[in-house]
Amino acid sequence: MIQRSDDSSADPTREVPKGAEAFPVLLAFPPQGHWTQPHLALPCLKAWLHQAGYDAVQQMDLSVEAFDHFLSPAVLTAARDKVRERLPLEGFDGDELRLGSMRAWRAAAESAVSADALIDGVEEAKRVLRGQDTEVKEERGFWNPDRYVPATRTLYHGLRLISAAHYPSELTPHNFTMGYSNENSEEVMAATLDEEQNPFIAFYRDEVLPRIVEQRPRVLGLSVLYGSQLIPALTLGRMVKAALPDCHVTMGGGFLAYIGEKVMNVPAMADCMDSMIFHEGERPLVMLCDALLRGEEDLSEIGSLAWWDRRGEGPARSLRNAPAHPIKLDSAPPPDLDGLPLDKYFSPELVIPYDVNRGCYYGECTFCTLPTVIGPGYRTRKAETIADHVAVLRDRYGSTHFNFITDCMPPGMIQDLPERLIETKAGITWWADARIEPKAYNENGAKRLHESGCRKLLFGFETSVKRLLKLMMKGQSLKSVVEVATNCTKADISVTFYAMVGFPTETREEARQTLRFLEEHRDIVREVSLQTFHIDEVAKTYKQPDEFGIRVLDAEGDLALYHDYESESGMTQEEAAEMFEEMMASFRQNLPIFSGDNIFYFMQKSHYFLHLAAGTTPDEFVTRCVERTEARSARGAEDGLTVSPALRSLPLRFSHSDAVRTMGDPLARAARPDFLTGRFVADAEQIAEEQLKPLQAAERVLLYDSENGEFIEIRGDGQRVLDALQAAGSLGKLVETSRARGASDEAIEKLQRFATELHRLGALRDPSRAADGPVTRIIYPAKGSDSPKTQAKGAPHHA
Amino acid sequence: MPENSEEQNRTEKSETAQERQGASEAEASAEDVELDLEGLDLTVETVEERISPSETNVFDK
Repeated sequence: MIQRSDDSSADPTREVPKGAEAFPVLLAFPPQGHWTQPHLALPCLKAWLHQAGYDAVQQMDLSVEAFDHFLSPAVLTAARDKVRERLPLEGFDGDELRLGSMRAWRAAAESAVSADALIDGVEEAKRVLRGQDTEVKEERGFWNPDRYVPATRTLYHGLRLISAAHYPSELTPHNFTMGYSNENSEEVMAATLDEEQNPFIAFYRDEVLPRIVEQRPRVLGLSVLYGSQLIPALTLGRMVKAALPDCHVTMGGGFLAYIGEKVMNVPAMADCMDSMIFHEGERPLVMLCDALLRGEEDLSEIGSLAWWDRRGEGPARSLRNAPAHPIKLDSAPPPDLDGLPLDKYFSPELVIPYDVNRGCYYGECTFCTLPTVIGPGYRTRKAETIADHVAVLRDRYGSTHFNFITDCMPPGMIQDLPERLIETKAGITWWADARIEPKAYNENGAKRLHESGCRKLLFGFETSVKRLLKLMMKGQSLKSVVEVATNCTKADISVTFYAMVGFPTETREEARQTLRFLEEHRDIVREVSLQTFHIDEVAKTYKQPDEFGIRVLDAEGDLALYHDYESESGMTQEEAAEMFEEMMASFRQNLPIFSGDNIFYFMQKSHYFLHLAAGTTPDEFVTRCVERTEARSARGAEDGLTVSPALRSLPLRFSHSDAVRTMGDPLARAARPDFLTGRFVADAEQIAEEQLKPLQAAERVLLYDSENGEFIEIRGDGQRVLDALQAAGSLGKLVETSRARGASDEAIEKLQRFATELHRLGALRDPSRAADGPVTRIIYPAKGSDSPKTQAKGAPHHA
Repeated sequence: MPENSEEQNRTEKSETAQERQGASEAEASAEDVELDLEGLDLTVETVEERISPSETNVFDK
C-alpha cells in the first residue's frame, strides 16, 4: 500500500503514483495582482510538484495576461465604443451633478477626451515599461522619466477606459472592485455571472478557456492572495467546471486563508470549485494530485484541505480536514518560473521572487495577522541553500535582480546571507522586507549587505510614538530605528518605512508626531508605505479588544472579514481615514520620491529598485526627483510657446477637478467598496449624498495631452485663448497683437501666467527649444554590464 | 467655439489642437477682435490623484 506522507522526494515513504509524470495540472494566478513581476506562489508549487514526480504542470499568470490583453488597441477601441453606448455624456444634461452620478460622468468625460490618444499610444507605452522600445539597454525609455511617466500614465488611463466600459467596476494596477460586495456570498456569486460589469468573463471565454480546454488539466489550482482576486478566481472556476467537468478545481492563497472557512459554508461555491487548501499549498496539493490520479473520491486524508464531497445523493457536502504539517523549507526546490509570460511583465528586467524563509521569527506584533496567511511557525532556508538557488535562478532566467520574499530576516541570517552571496560571487542585486535589528544592521553589517547586492530594505516602523510601540509590542526603540536607517543610508541602501495610522487609541497629535518624525528623517527614509489600521477576525485586537480599549462591531456579510470598531479614546475610523489623507498629502509635498509624478516609481513594485540596481544611488535618485520637479517649475511664458499638437480638448458641462475632489472626500470614498475587502459601509452612500454638495453646471474644458498624459481643466475662456494662440502662431505674437489692441499690463500678465501653467503641464511647448520636453537629468545604467555600477553625477542631459 | 456646450457634448468627441487649427485660423480675425483679455477667466486646474492605501503595496508581497 502506498503511504501518504511528506509527498516530496525528501520523504522516502511516499511512492510516486503511476502516471504522475503525465498527469496534467494547471496552476493559474487570476487577476488582479501587481503587474511588474511574477508572484511567488505558483512557481513554488510548480517546483514542488515537479520534485514530487509531476512533470506535466503548466502555469499561467492570468493577471498580467489580462492587463496585456485589455491594454491593446483593439480592446481599448471596443471599450471606447462601449463607454459611448453605456455612459453617453449627453445623458448628464441636468443643471447639477450629484455624487451618485459623479463617477460615471467622470469616466465618460475622461474616456471621451483621452480614448483615441490611449488607443494610439498604448503599444508604445507597454514597450517603454518593458524595455522593448529599443535594443540598446541604456537608451530605453524606462530609464528616462520623461518617457517613463507618460507611458505609465497611458497604461493607468487605459485601465480607466476599461473600467468605464464595465462601470461601476474599477480595475487599476493595484486593485479590482465591482459594484458587488466581496463580503456577501450572494453578491459574489452574482458578480461571477455579470458580463456587463465583470470584464474577466469575456477575457476568459475568448482568450483563456480555449487554451485550458486544449490542455485538459485534471487539476486546476487557483491562487487567491488578495481580495481583488476572489471574484475573478471564482468566475474562472465556474467557467472551467462547466467546460471541463472532470477537472478538479482547487483554490488556495493568503486571502482564502482568512475567509476560506466562510467560503466553504456557502453551498453555491461548489459551482465554482471542488476544494480549497489552507495555508501552505505544497504538501496538500501533491496529496490531492496523488489521490485524483488514483481515482479516489474520498479526500479526507489530505491535510489542510477543505472540499466538497459529491459522493452520494443530494447536494455536495462541505468538509474540512485536519491541518497538514508545514514542509521543511530548506528541502524545497527553488521556484520554477517556466511557462510564465516573462516578457509581459511591465518591467525592463525580470525581478525574480524568492522565499528565504516563511513566517516571522519575532511574531509578537499585536496588529499583525500574517501568520494566518502563511501558517504557523517560522522556517528558513540555510544561507548556503539560498546562495545555491540564487545562482540557479540567475543562470536559468538570465536576471541578476531578486526580490527576497520574507517578513523579516533574523540577525543571524542578516550576517550569514551576505557573506555567502559575496563568497559565491553571486553578482546579484536584491531587496526585501526587514525588521529593525540594530545589532545586525550596524555600520559594517550594512556595508556587507550592500556588497552582497542589497539595494533597498523595507522596515516595519509603524509609529514614532513610544506608547503605541509598546501597545503594538514592536520591541523597537526610536534610537535603534534611526541607527539602522542611518547605517543603511550610509551604505547606499535605500530605506522604506512601513507606517500605520489609526491604531486603536492613537490621537491626531500622535499621528502628526509620527508624520513629523518621518519628514524630519527624510534624508534616511526615502519612501513611506502608509497604511490605515484594520481589524480582521484573526487579529489580537479582534480577539482581545479590551486590551486595546475598543469595542468591535458586528459585521454583516456572510464572507465578512474586517470589522468596524469604536475606540474609548483616540481617533475614530473616519478620523484615521482623514489623517491618512493629511499624512499622504504631506509626504507628497516633502518626500522627493512622492513629489508630483515621481510617485509612480514608488507605486510600481521594483521600478525604483531597478534604478538602484542599475547603479544609481538613493541620493542621486532623490536629486533627480527634485531636479525634475524644479525644472518643471522653472518653465515660463516663453515667446515661442505654441499649443502642443497632440493636445485634445473637450467641452464639459461640469467641473472635472471639482468632481475628482468631491470623490476624494473620505465620505465619498466610504461609499465605494473598501480596497481590501470590497465591502460597502452601511448607509455610507446616503450619508455622502446628503453631505456632499452636488456640482452646479459650469462651462469647463477638459484637456488631455497624450505626450504628457495628464488631465487639465480650463474655463471656456481658456479655450478661446488657446484658439487665439493657435491662430497667432506663438505666445509672443499673441502678446504682441494683444498689446497692439490695447491690452493692459495686468491682462498680459494674466495671459502669461496661464501660458506658464500650461507650459509646466505640457499643454504648451516651445518647439524652438530642443530641451523643452525632457526636464530630467538621466542617469543611465552602466553600459554593457549587468553588474551594479555607480555612475557619477553629472551625466549628460537628454535632448 | 460654439456657445452651446451641451451641443458640443453631444458630439462626444475630443479634438486635437491640430484638428482645431483649421477652424481657428478661419475664425482668427473674428476671435482676435473679440479676445478681451481683461475679462477672461484663465484658471487652470489639475487634481493630484489621491493615493489610496491599496497603492502603497503594504500587503503586496
